[in-house]
Amino acid sequence: MLVTWKYRPRNTLMQRLDPRARLIFFLCYLLSVFMFWDVRVLSGFLVITLLTVLSAKLSWKDTRQTWLLLGSFTTFYALITFITGRAGNNLYQTEHIIAVLQAPFVVLGWQPTVAISIEQVFLALSQFSRVSSIAAITLLIPYTFDPAMYGVTFRQLGLPDKLAFALDLTMRFVPSLGRDFAMTMDAQKARGYEMERRSGGLLGQVRKLTPLLVPVVIHSIISGEEITDAMDLRAFGTQPRTWLRRLSYARRDYIVIAVSLILLATSVAANLSGLGRFWAP
Amino acid sequence: MTIRVTNLSYHYRNQRERTLDGLSTEFKPGEVTLIAGASGCGKTTLIRCINGLIPRSYTGGELSGAIELFGQDTAALTLATISQIIGTVLQDPEKQIVASDVTSEIAFGLENLGLPRDEIRERIAHTAELLHISNLLTRETFLLSGGEKQKVALAGVLAMRPRAVLLDEPLASLDPASGREALALMRHLADAGIAVVIIEHRIEDVLAIHPEHCVYMSAGRITYDGDAAGLLQSVDWREIKLPASVVMQRVRAAGMAVPHRARSKSPEQVGSKSIIEYRQVGFGYADGPEVLHDINCAIRRGEIIALIGPNGAGKSTLLKHAIGLNRPVRGQVLVDGVDSAALTVAQLARAVGFVFQSPSHMLFAPTVREELAFGPRNIGLDAETIALNTDNALATVALTGTEDQPPLALSFGQQKRISIASILTMNPRIVIMDEPTAGQDYANYTHFMDDIVSHMRTDAESANAKPGFEALAFITHDLDLAITYANRIMLVADGRIVADGAPEEVLLDTARLERCRIHPTSLLEANLAALNKTTPSGMQSHRFMSAAELAFLA
Repeated sequence: MLVTWKYRPRNTLMQRLDPRARLIFFLCYLLSVFMFWDVRVLSGFLVITLLTVLSAKLSWKDTRQTWLLLGSFTTFYALITFITGRAGNNLYQTEHIIAVLQAPFVVLGWQPTVAISIEQVFLALSQFSRVSSIAAITLLIPYTFDPAMYGVTFRQLGLPDKLAFALDLTMRFVPSLGRDFAMTMDAQKARGYEMERRSGGLLGQVRKLTPLLVPVVIHSIISGEEITDAMDLRAFGTQPRTWLRRLSYARRDYIVIAVSLILLATSVAANLSGLGRFWAP
Repeated sequence: MTIRVTNLSYHYRNQRERTLDGLSTEFKPGEVTLIAGASGCGKTTLIRCINGLIPRSYTGGELSGAIELFGQDTAALTLATISQIIGTVLQDPEKQIVASDVTSEIAFGLENLGLPRDEIRERIAHTAELLHISNLLTRETFLLSGGEKQKVALAGVLAMRPRAVLLDEPLASLDPASGREALALMRHLADAGIAVVIIEHRIEDVLAIHPEHCVYMSAGRITYDGDAAGLLQSVDWREIKLPASVVMQRVRAAGMAVPHRARSKSPEQVGSKSIIEYRQVGFGYADGPEVLHDINCAIRRGEIIALIGPNGAGKSTLLKHAIGLNRPVRGQVLVDGVDSAALTVAQLARAVGFVFQSPSHMLFAPTVREELAFGPRNIGLDAETIALNTDNALATVALTGTEDQPPLALSFGQQKRISIASILTMNPRIVIMDEPTAGQDYANYTHFMDDIVSHMRTDAESANAKPGFEALAFITHDLDLAITYANRIMLVADGRIVADGAPEEVLLDTARLERCRIHPTSLLEANLAALNKTTPSGMQSHRFMSAAELAFLA
């Protein structure tokens, strides 16, 4: 099994943008979504999200599993919200019941009953739009962000050399970690180990994982020492370093950053002045 | 102007004895130096002293003596300065490569030195051209082959324009052909005026590039320092693998009797029932192309099979089918006559023991006893059987008495033995080993293989008379290992079994071996030359043997 980044070079506006501009947009967009509970605003965000995802030109074949997972997760989450009305108490005081569903059976003298209110329906819709927007925009990152660019992006956003390079190093070793994990899994399977056959309480389950975790952790620690040696031998951290890649903003990047900041400012202002709170007809 | 080591000693903080004890030697520009010695002799520590990791990164030890790099005393230099004089390629290129793509990897050291971007670009292009890897510049480092990774690691070091290059076991992870390419490159660098220092167990391979200077180390001291011819005469041929002709000559001169070990006949001729059978097996990873094609073969009781072939040929993939870690896309794998498709890996593990290359991917328990009990407990053996199997397995790998020690505190060679013992306790009928000798020195792995092979149960013995497995298969890059131990050889290339049969049949066609990136060794040549003296007779039909055994033939 090979673990690799799912990034591919693509000729899209998104991937032509300066990665810093993209990160700023991403952060502003995320914070803005958090400011709202009004489904009318949130559906607007959802539309923007969908357009952004479409503009990324990801192939269905590469991303199918991710979207299916995302779809089932958000639907499930919204459904839970719908049935329990969880988190609703803070957002609305009165409820208007539109239907009461009663189960056609009785369990131990209790007949499961769900009262459905307009508020609950709209809370679920809001929740669905929020979670979908946030998750879809986040999931775009591994597919569209060149893993070789993380370090230089954060360096030019102002992080110190060592911290910024640590990001590059992480990107470099995530696939190795994945491979070590797969190898350990195979080696233990060959000794009759079966993950599926988990039993016992939480502690028992953790104990059942030690044959996987111990070798992977020990391996990482040993590799970590060797990598440190290799970096020391190539003069890492002895003086301010050059970054071979250099990012420079183009006009479109300034536009994206400006739009992002305006969006965030507007959202915060709306939130402070009481706009965009929970809404139901 | 040379690298001069004078009376160097080093004592690690946590160790009882000195790792280096009064070394003095000299490495010259334009020369290849070979440093050989058994595991733990201090080779790697010597390298750490020269490249400055000791005492700058490894602190707390006691260092004495002096190292002079082309006229400068290292004690006064910083790591950044030393890194521009001495380049070091660590043993595992996988851990030396710190960047995700090849260009960034070559740039890394230059970036750290704060060089201007234009100069970095110019040096990357130049170094890549020198090593013929310009075509790799945009590739992801994770997906490179072992040979490519090593060249990229070397490029990252050479781009810093060092005057000397130190290489710690550069051949360890390479197939023979990639190894030869790497060595040719070292010769080229030395001829261009760089001091090249190679630490290597596989000295026969290094001798092919005519090192001007050879050093042999033992227990922290230099026991030989001189030319190659002298090295071959002075070191113990049981400690380190020497060319076959040298071993034969020295064994004869010493008048030692080395008995020819009785090896069983390849049982294909005996016609016993097969333990594992591949029928028309084809395999490919999801969404990928087919990597194994039309595999047809059977493994029988009494067989010791060596799988040889280039990196990426499909040797591991093929053998993983036996235990269900890979499942055929086409065809069938039968284990004990039953189609394995219906069985889980855990069920197959009762018949097939699979030992992975690196013990650190499997050892986890607090004691050896628990480590060895893990497998048999998983497949449901009772406590009494487990205790019995543990004793037998430890005896097989010669580690009786270590039951209560933590496996992770043992030496690498011992860990390797424990990883095999932890499979033997499951009482498999066949044991499969992926690169059993990797990371061990010659004396270590020779004893180890002798122990394993001698515990195999042959046809005549019943299961009750002697515990043990009935067949052995191993993957190796070391042709001599195959020659010395196997009674059947499978040559695998491009996902196919190219040749399969008795060693003297498969290895006779040296042109075919070269096509499969395997270079004939002096031991193979000596065995082929002796073929007319080793006519098959009775059960002792195994015609290939070790150099020491050959010495007393006729």
